[in-house]
Amino acid sequence: MPTEVLLAKALVELADTLVADFDVVELLTRLADRCVEILDVGAAGLMLAGPDGELRVMASSSEAMRVLELFELQAEEGPCLDAYRTGKAVTAYDLAADGGSWPRFSAEALAAGFGAVQALPMRLRGTVIGALNLFHVAVGEMRASDVQSAQALADIATIAILQHRASLEAQVLNQQLQHALNSRIVIEQAKGMVAERSGLNMQMAFSALRGYARKHNLRLVAVAEAVIDGSLASSALAPAPAPGRLPGRLPN
Amino acid sequence: MPAEGERRARILGLLVGAGDGAFGARRLCDVCAEVTTMSGAGIMLMSAEIPDGSLCTTNDMSDLIEQLQYALGEGPCVDAYKQGWPVLEPDLAHAENPRWPAFAAAAVEAGVAAVFAFPLQVGAVRLGALSLCRESRGPLSDDQHAYALVMADVAAQAILVLQADAPPGKLAARLGAGADFHYVVHQASGMVAAQLEVSVAQALVRLRAYAFGNGRPLAEVARDVVDRTLRFDAASGQRDPMP
Repeated sequence: MPTEVLLAKALVELADTLVADFDVVELLTRLADRCVEILDVGAAGLMLAGPDGELRVMASSSEAMRVLELFELQAEEGPCLDAYRTGKAVTAYDLAADGGSWPRFSAEALAAGFGAVQALPMRLRGTVIGALNLFHVAVGEMRASDVQSAQALADIATIAILQHRASLEAQVLNQQLQHALNSRIVIEQAKGMVAERSGLNMQMAFSALRGYARKHNLRLVAVAEAVIDGSLASSALAPAPAPGRLPGRLPN
Repeated sequence: MPAEGERRARILGLLVGAGDGAFGARRLCDVCAEVTTMSGAGIMLMSAEIPDGSLCTTNDMSDLIEQLQYALGEGPCVDAYKQGWPVLEPDLAHAENPRWPAFAAAAVEAGVAAVFAFPLQVGAVRLGALSLCRESRGPLSDDQHAYALVMADVAAQAILVLQADAPPGKLAARLGAGADFHYVVHQASGMVAAQLEVSVAQALVRLRAYAFGNGRPLAEVARDVVDRTLRFDAASGQRDPMP
């Protein structure tokens, strides 16, 4: 199949992994495999930055120890780290000649049988989240169209990961919002229950709930929940004294 | 017609342009009404297919739209939230596919001719729905529809961003000001639960049923319970409202 068709298929496949059961590692593993198929490279891998800013191997087209070690090394030096830090593509078309800035990485890559290496940033606007690493057996420049294809695959993966992160963040915030609303509802319900059982008005019922929570060092919402589910009797809440008037039964 | 980016820029400009830029929920509704050129706009928060309450409304009509849906559990916002896409009813009195019998009857009687609802969502997370209404029937123009979609997107994100600053367990003050989360209804639920020795959830059902059966707003019925002019147990000597 021509490269364009393979690339289009890969992009559709990647888009397909974005639905419901999104899994970052699965997405990146597919991306690494497709790079090897489409771009005629010896090995491909992806590294993402953790919350601490350190690069970690997320996916590799090869499970060979020598290849995995090449990625792990790049937490300290190598083209991935440079691409991540600069946000620009980093290439060494002849590792034996150009690999001087990463002595350990270059030596290991040559020993593993690779002659050239390339790292493309995983970047969306100002944010760089990691890098795509391509290893070539032969020394020499990569075709410009292949570089573009690799960058397109990396861009799709970047967008997917950033969207996924935003969605997770939205979920957490929405849960906080719901929790805030529910806490208030439970407190209002408990106020009503205490008001009815103890013949207090709403303000006094609230004071009674809050007084009990303070006295027993409990959260107000926990006291309210206990009143609602019946595990705390309304009569156990000492009515807070209201200044200027006696707490007592209000006429119905 | 302006492109989506221009619409978004205009909405954001209106949101932060007025005052010191610290906009809250009320401003969201006002800007929504302005860009869609609709008199009534409202934002309803929902969870688990049930309305939580109203963040803001621009006028009596939009307030009624939200109150009815809260009391009845049906309506365009409820459907937009459940389905995840816009619900458009350009002629509520003569709908092609009549939905929401109780909601439609009450809304039409109050003078609502057309109502439109857009889900509030960020990615897979749904927060509620934005509603638009007016006294004249007819569909939204393409421009109004496009503005409503961008507005729903901006509002959903703004709500989460505003809530992110709130202390844990508390609703952000800028969201709560002007909101109606029906606290009096929940107070009444607690009282009725104690009167009838039922759960608060069952008590809320009884309150809703009583309001619907007597053709009265739920908030008014709840106020009567809290003011102790209405009881739900026979022992009070009043007639049992739910024989």
